[in-house]
Amino acid sequence: MNTLSLSLVRRLALVAMLAAMTGCVTTTMPAPAPSAANAEKLRSAKFVPAQVGTFKLAAGKPADMDTSMTFRASTVKPVNGSYAGQLRDEIAAELNAAGLLDPKSKSVIEGQLTDSMADTGMSVGKARLAAKIQVKRDGQTVFDKEIVADSTWESSFVGAVAIPAARNQYTALYKTLVGKLFDDVDFKRAMAPQ
Amino acid sequence: MFALRDLARRAALCTFLAGSALLGGCASVYLDGTTKEVQASQFKKPASPAPVQLLFEFQTKGVANAQATAMLRDRVVDQVKASGLFSEVGSNAVPSGALLTITLNNVPLTDNAFSKGFVTGLTFGLAGSQVSDGYVCTANYHATRDSATVIKQARHAIHTTVGAAATPGNATKMSNGKEAAYLMTQQVVSNVLNDLSQDANFK
Repeated sequence: MNTLSLSLVRRLALVAMLAAMTGCVTTTMPAPAPSAANAEKLRSAKFVPAQVGTFKLAAGKPADMDTSMTFRASTVKPVNGSYAGQLRDEIAAELNAAGLLDPKSKSVIEGQLTDSMADTGMSVGKARLAAKIQVKRDGQTVFDKEIVADSTWESSFVGAVAIPAARNQYTALYKTLVGKLFDDVDFKRAMAPQ
Repeated sequence: MFALRDLARRAALCTFLAGSALLGGCASVYLDGTTKEVQASQFKKPASPAPVQLLFEFQTKGVANAQATAMLRDRVVDQVKASGLFSEVGSNAVPSGALLTITLNNVPLTDNAFSKGFVTGLTFGLAGSQVSDGYVCTANYHATRDSATVIKQARHAIHTTVGAAATPGNATKMSNGKEAAYLMTQQVVSNVLNDLSQDANFK
């Protein structure tokens, strides 16, 4: 083994030790809160007030997709035990801050979580969040589409660098997905005053 | 072998940074001295302050960072409340449609793609054992639902050194990273609030 290889082995061993020191942590996602970007979208959208109905895991998906997300040895839990519920609460928080949440509205937004994944990677990280969203007005479905948010970022060997980055990227997807929903032309049509 | 050498270099850098974070005793945190706090007494107060909806977001390289947002939000809200620029400050929409959004974007100054705009004005001694973080604070203000956006921006930086590195010039040593983050936020937000208050379109 040449000098470079020996040096590499020593460095990688140190990296592994540091990574291990930062692992095995369970955290909870922050409570949903309105975001500046989505508030701007809602200002220009002119939606009717709506209520937010049931959000659950889509049929056929593994149950743990809705309850647990692991970044190497670190776990992130949704606020109320369900990622579908987290998405519901994100939408409700945005609508509420814009004065567009009305529990008695005839327009109801519902959803099913179809994908929730994150890969911290060694050099590139990836995360994806997807949900089928429906808008029902007077019981009739006026919008039904899958909305997808994904991201890739430069990751790292080292858990202390890779885990917080992945956790942040994954958490941010909730606001990104909600923003994509608010931007969707068909959603805008479904939420427009009649 | 080139790829292996590159990998080793990256691993060593990551180890250095991770080690610095974990072994906090070796790292010193400095708040850049270029951006000074503007006291609320210097703001140009409106004749009749109005209610405003305030939304704050911390970002990391432009991506929403919910943990940091939660850590800083209450302080920013309190600062805007104490500014005297608005009669009421809350997170819900107000009847007039007045909206103030403040975003604080953390950009690594060691990354060429993000460091543009920081090179002049701020302390910039990127020696091997110094890491600098830049912060771009942007305030967007709408006086009413249909009014044009008034945009103000200010920048700040926090420097971290490891071991016996030289002290960054024009910077104040902080007791820890949290104190630096709190003071940096207070100072940079005071600048965008002051700029906003001086704008002719701020009503």
